[in-house]
Amino acid sequence: MRFLSLASQHRVVIILGLTLIISALVVPGYFSASTLGLGLDRAATIGLIAIGLTVLLIAGQIDLSGGAVFALAGIISVILQREIGILPAAIVGILVGTVAGAINGALVVGLKVNSLVLTLATMLIFRSLAHWITNSQPVSGTDIMLSLALAKTYLDIFTIRSALFIVLIVLLHVWLTRTIPGRNVFAVGSNPAAAKESGIASDRIVFFGFVFAGTLAGLAGVLQSLVTNTGSPVFGSELTVAVIAAVVVGGTRLEGGRGSALGTLGGVLTIGSLTIAMEFQSVPAYVQQVVSGLILILLVVLDRAVTTKGRASGTRPALISDNPITQGGTT
Amino acid sequence: MSDAAMEISVNPDRFTRGSKLVDALSKAGLAFAILAVVLYGSVVSPAFFTSGNLLNVLTSMSIVGIVVVGMTFVLVVGGLADLSVPATIACGAILSLGLQPMIGPLPAFVLAVGLAGLIGLLNGVLVGYVGINPIIATLGIGTIGLGIVQAAVGGVIVYGSNPASAEFAKGRLFGIPVVVLIFLVIALIGHFVLSRSFWGRWTLATGGNYSAAEASAVPVQAVKAGAFVITALTAGISGGLLGLTLQSARPLIGAGYEFSAITAVVVGGVSIIGGFGSVPRAIAGLIFVQLLTNVMVLDGVRTPIQGFVLGILIVGAVGMDAALRKRGVA
Amino acid sequence: MIGRKDMIGRKTMLQIAAVALLASTGWASAKTVCYVTAADSHAYATPANKALEARAKELGIEILSLSQDFDVQKGTEQLNTCVARKVDGIILWPLDPQAYIPGLARAQQANIPAILINSPMSDDAKPFIKSFTGPDVYEEGKLAADSLSKALGGKGSVVIIAGQAGNGTTIGRVTGFTDRLKETNADIKVLDTVNADFDQQKALVVSRDLITRFGDQISGVYANDDTMARGFIDAWKEANPSKAAPPIVGINGQKDAFESIRTNEMYSTIVQSPVEDGRLAINTMAEIIDGKEVKDRLPIPLTVVTKDNVNSVEPAF
Repeated sequence: MRFLSLASQHRVVIILGLTLIISALVVPGYFSASTLGLGLDRAATIGLIAIGLTVLLIAGQIDLSGGAVFALAGIISVILQREIGILPAAIVGILVGTVAGAINGALVVGLKVNSLVLTLATMLIFRSLAHWITNSQPVSGTDIMLSLALAKTYLDIFTIRSALFIVLIVLLHVWLTRTIPGRNVFAVGSNPAAAKESGIASDRIVFFGFVFAGTLAGLAGVLQSLVTNTGSPVFGSELTVAVIAAVVVGGTRLEGGRGSALGTLGGVLTIGSLTIAMEFQSVPAYVQQVVSGLILILLVVLDRAVTTKGRASGTRPALISDNPITQGGTT
Repeated sequence: MSDAAMEISVNPDRFTRGSKLVDALSKAGLAFAILAVVLYGSVVSPAFFTSGNLLNVLTSMSIVGIVVVGMTFVLVVGGLADLSVPATIACGAILSLGLQPMIGPLPAFVLAVGLAGLIGLLNGVLVGYVGINPIIATLGIGTIGLGIVQAAVGGVIVYGSNPASAEFAKGRLFGIPVVVLIFLVIALIGHFVLSRSFWGRWTLATGGNYSAAEASAVPVQAVKAGAFVITALTAGISGGLLGLTLQSARPLIGAGYEFSAITAVVVGGVSIIGGFGSVPRAIAGLIFVQLLTNVMVLDGVRTPIQGFVLGILIVGAVGMDAALRKRGVA
Repeated sequence: MIGRKDMIGRKTMLQIAAVALLASTGWASAKTVCYVTAADSHAYATPANKALEARAKELGIEILSLSQDFDVQKGTEQLNTCVARKVDGIILWPLDPQAYIPGLARAQQANIPAILINSPMSDDAKPFIKSFTGPDVYEEGKLAADSLSKALGGKGSVVIIAGQAGNGTTIGRVTGFTDRLKETNADIKVLDTVNADFDQQKALVVSRDLITRFGDQISGVYANDDTMARGFIDAWKEANPSKAAPPIVGINGQKDAFESIRTNEMYSTIVQSPVEDGRLAINTMAEIIDGKEVKDRLPIPLTVVTKDNVNSVEPAF
């Protein structure tokens, strides 16, 4: 049991280490800087959205609309390039993400509804808007040279996108562990009622959690559109699932109250390096699916097996506890 | 066992406090919404209020409707959602066609549904007994299941080889399409189980207040797991019928059905928090969504706008539900 | 799979780099080609992939196969993987007319020749690719328009059952069709275009609604693939069990479509062979690697199949 709990605490490190070792054994030259840099760049898009989702999950909420916001923000940033120039258009694109997040947050807090259902609905809405605006056709940007510059690798490892991801996740780590608002997020996620009683403005934290998540999805979408010089209404349709998997592999729980930025970093890197390793071996996509699904299930089962002794096994996410009906008999 | 069920049934207020008025209001709201769509549809399109069109809507909604019955159990038991539905539908459709030449149509269908149920059992064990969040468990199992199905089929379209079973699935009985009849039968069974049986009471109790139900000796873990098995079985049946009516199946045949089913259940006012809801409500939600989509297509509304309207609708439905409920308690 | 490079490579990183460098300058005998395919498990893509890989083996070319799983974003990132692997050539199956352009430009900077298989990209991509091989979805749309025009005698009103909104194949097949109708000044009106995501059940459902809405106004149907054409046929049979359906034109040349053409349920389909599609791409790439010049457009034959030739043509899959 002791071994298991130790293994569980450091499972992200262990799984990442295992992935890297196995990859190095089967893929020649895996540990070269350029390969690692590649893995990092592949992970960056998922990673940027995962940063936002980490905060939301810790606060006991979820956001399914990230992929749609990703597409919408990218489209706006490309369409506006001709009108207002590349940089302003990019900023507007990111702000579209912010606004989308604010809409999610306002609806969840204002209507007191479950964020799973609500963001399922806004996912439909944002995705429809993306199709509506573009008439379901991809739109192209004005400057392909910028795309090439953005994809340039520095120091053999970092692209602008992956560097941004690393910097932001370190900042998030500091914020979550060293500041009072950061710690309050955990309080809100683990016990909203208690958090409220101790004077934490949980509604505000939840609202800004959504704003933060939307902004990052917007940022990731704008970067994607700049790198490909294209905005498309079908971008990001597979992203949400990958992002949730990466965050959960990193040890953040959907029930709220637990998680870490560094864990997410580990989870994102695991998914990224695993993808690269399997692609280098021409492993078919469906086998990749099975492998990542197994890792996900294995990790959460291990987590449960070690840490749930005291807790009821049917714990539901904290996001629902605002509702008076479920609060009925618990106190 | 039956003692526990009794105890809960005599004390339902504990789980659904103050919800009588809310219930009536939201039921009236849904009925009003359906009526509004019917009126609007009749005005904009002369073809809308015809028996042919309404029967079409009913036929079109039957496949997803069968899944809706199962999904209702998942939401009521507090299991959030089952995202593995595309995998279980694919399993049902591909096996019920692919095994036909070997073991005949009926055994193939039964085996397909049974295997889908097994996937549901995996979900159920992970959620009910291990205590994993349903979103993650069903996402993971669904991904694995779909991966295996794709590996097994290898990109080949599986065609049906038994015309008689196709004739049956596409046929009519007393003028009503067979799929509609199967849907109605499953809906009736689902309704009976959820509202009249001990299993239903346990499901409601587990979803309403997990620890209280556990204290009252409800086998909460089994009840929770059961909801996922039920959903997988319904999805398996749905997939099998889909395969038989289309006479062809691909691995991605079930894509999107999980969200359609959840949408219908939620619009029907079944709370995703659990502890509250019924099969008729979920089906009323489905009818509303399907009629609205039908009216939009008849009215020539473009596909993206349809998605937009549907999204707004869900927000409206959950928002109204939450608002009513708060007032009901206050 | 990697063969001798693998054996040498495990010793030190420097050696790997050296070998890779040499490999890219043409010293090593086994060439590696990166094949970014649309999907692994798909009725058309799977046989195309298999044919491509089998032919590559004959030619002594290693294939690094990456599947986009119909996700454009994944594909754009996979191009970077190809460039980083310093492969000798890239065969890309584009799912979007332009999103890959920066990736192709990076490949060009790294002196890796690239060609497109199966679907074209916008003209902006031309400077970055050596050739485009295979069928042309836009061309297929045009052929479908001609076929339906012929069936209708150049006059009528039709519905289009399109694939996924925003998908490259859908865009090509729909615009090819409508452009061609305009080009030929055909007196054919498009009543409505609806998306059914290449899914038979979705096509069945939207067809029911289309039949209710337009009824006898529908004098012809164009479905972006045979699967969706089947959906319309079934819906028509439900609504009008005894009445013959209007002429239906599909694309892909599936077995069951051939059957429908024989029984007069469908008017025509367009056959494109996935095997030829895959083989042509790798053959072309082999020529490029050998330093030969290739044409910038190498089509595979598209055959319009009607009742006249249904017994003499092989179905695609």
